[in-house]
Amino acid sequence: MPVLTVRQGARRHEIPFSPGACLGDLLHAFDHPHPCGGRGVCGKCSVLMSGQDAPVLSCQTYLGDQDAEVYLPEAIPLTQIAMTGEAAQQAAPEGAVGAAVDIGTTTIALALYDLHTGGRLAEAAMINPQTAVAADVIGRIGAALEGRLSEQERLVRGAIAALLRRACDQAGLDEARVTERVITGNTTMLYLLTGQNPVSLSRAPFKADTLFGHPHEAGYLPPCMNAFVGADITCAALACGLCESSSPALLCDLGTNGELALWKDGRLYVTSTAAGPVFEGACISCGVSSIPGAIDRVHAVGGRLHIHTIGDQPAVGVCGSGLLDAVAALLEIGAIDETGLLEDAPYPLAPGVFLTQADVRAVQLAKAAIYAGVRTLLRAAKIAPGDVKRFFVAGGFGSHAGMGSAAVIGMLPRELAAKAQAVGNAALRGAAALLLSPKKRAEAQRIAAQAVHVPLGGDPGFNDAYIEAMMFDTDEEC
Amino acid sequence: MELLNQISQQLQAGKAKDVKALVEQAIEAGIPAQTILDEGLLSGMNVIGEKFKRNEVFVPEVLVAARAMNRGAALLKPLLAQDGAKATGRVCIGTVQGDLHDIGKNLVKMMMEAKGLEVIDLGTDVSAQTFVQTAKEQDCQIICCSALLTTTMSVMGDVVREAEAAGIRDKVKIMIGGAPVSQAHCDEIGADAYTTDAASAADCAAAFCRA
Repeated sequence: MPVLTVRQGARRHEIPFSPGACLGDLLHAFDHPHPCGGRGVCGKCSVLMSGQDAPVLSCQTYLGDQDAEVYLPEAIPLTQIAMTGEAAQQAAPEGAVGAAVDIGTTTIALALYDLHTGGRLAEAAMINPQTAVAADVIGRIGAALEGRLSEQERLVRGAIAALLRRACDQAGLDEARVTERVITGNTTMLYLLTGQNPVSLSRAPFKADTLFGHPHEAGYLPPCMNAFVGADITCAALACGLCESSSPALLCDLGTNGELALWKDGRLYVTSTAAGPVFEGACISCGVSSIPGAIDRVHAVGGRLHIHTIGDQPAVGVCGSGLLDAVAALLEIGAIDETGLLEDAPYPLAPGVFLTQADVRAVQLAKAAIYAGVRTLLRAAKIAPGDVKRFFVAGGFGSHAGMGSAAVIGMLPRELAAKAQAVGNAALRGAAALLLSPKKRAEAQRIAAQAVHVPLGGDPGFNDAYIEAMMFDTDEEC
Repeated sequence: MELLNQISQQLQAGKAKDVKALVEQAIEAGIPAQTILDEGLLSGMNVIGEKFKRNEVFVPEVLVAARAMNRGAALLKPLLAQDGAKATGRVCIGTVQGDLHDIGKNLVKMMMEAKGLEVIDLGTDVSAQTFVQTAKEQDCQIICCSALLTTTMSVMGDVVREAEAAGIRDKVKIMIGGAPVSQAHCDEIGADAYTTDAASAADCAAAFCRA
């Protein structure tokens, strides 16, 4: 079997491959971006290959039966981003360790750091055990109000303890050495972590009675912006340097709740839009999460669909990025019309995996919520999509979503999709920055304090944009 | 009749201007207003409602069709009043207190109007008291409540209790709907009907008013 050698800085990896393999697929393990979903249009996945004068697009390059060698840019380690411009805590004694935690509605992630050197020691993640109580934020708030607050507090604290244990085992160190913690998450997650009654988050006017931004016995809790734009977005904004930009910059965390933060002229316009769980693979007939065998990419070539599955396993279902691509591909080949009608429903994607008319409708609702949210935010800041100079896409789905497909189905304005930069779990990186450099806490406070909430509920402009965006022909107007 | 059929077709296509012009033509041709309404506008809207139920058309198409219907209905309104025509029933509708979502509620309202019902729209964030007071004062046969949050669904139970306290529970049917709402919730709070979509809600309301 021929071997691909991947050189990245001082590191060197060897990957055996079968002749005909796509270079882009082989580079997946290296966080090599494919913002356009492997369509060969964005140019972001280009790499230097030995024997080639110019960089090649890895998604469009198929290897033969000869060994090959590519050079990847040095990966930016978590710590390096976390510490932009500042050293780790100079005062931290040698051997002191800290944990950064991001409590996501679906996934909890933890990373351990050496506080003296700033080096990352280990990381671990698990499904948020509160998902057993309810899948979404509103469901968990409802459960808390019905007497299940302390249960949820126990669940999340137990999960953090388990992750800490796992990470310490991995790094081979004693848990007692973990002296500092920064725990970020959306507003509801921090309420549940601290056992705070979330009644103020449960109904209009949705005025949170605390926004955190202070030390707590569980750890330092970064500031939230409002009831539905939480500390995770404050941290993500910090990690991306969103508010250091001299030109308009947009951060979009695409999950069940799509949180949006737009920086322009010293103001941070924020909102959250209810995309629902379809891009997590939920509420879709053959929807699955990102498991082996999930169809994660689909593209249309010559009127036919080509699918890719995670781990190249036989298809078992379709995950968020695959769903997005599938709808885009079906639009491109004309199997879905501009109103969303799927002519031959259900439409097979692979043996036993298909897309129904109801699935397409669910995607229409979700993508319209995101599109209308972005539009409403841009309008509040009085700018057009083309004025946004930097566009960061965070979150699991956001980082894997094909931005070309997002533009095709009208989930994002085309000018924005073209500028997308996937930033992964930026919230965790931001939390790490706060862990390693407590001075940044003042900056986080400033970011949160600058937030101007743009409410979408009941805004007639949003409603009109939302309904308009449900169709598939809403491109490129302003 | 060809003209009425054209009204129905243009309405389904969402052509508000054409619907308006055709309704004007129909009035000039001496077709009774009630006939234009029933066999032109409402029949077209019924087709859209059925297609919506089957997922063949989506929210935007329903909304443009409803807009076209309203343009035509506005022309007929004074004529219908002249003829002494009465709506087949009166409904008050709103999104419950603490909840600001209104797209679903608006769809239900339009579908009910397409069934010839008179609908009083109380908007969003409506208290149980307001629902019941309106039903009492305006003599509504139906109170229709929408909620999109699991945390605001409980207000629907308050509406039922408030109607009991006001002594109108036997005179009014209480209908509920919204993404998190279910038949189980309907049974639990003792409401009269839960429907899964706007077209079914309108069918159900029309049936209540006929009964």
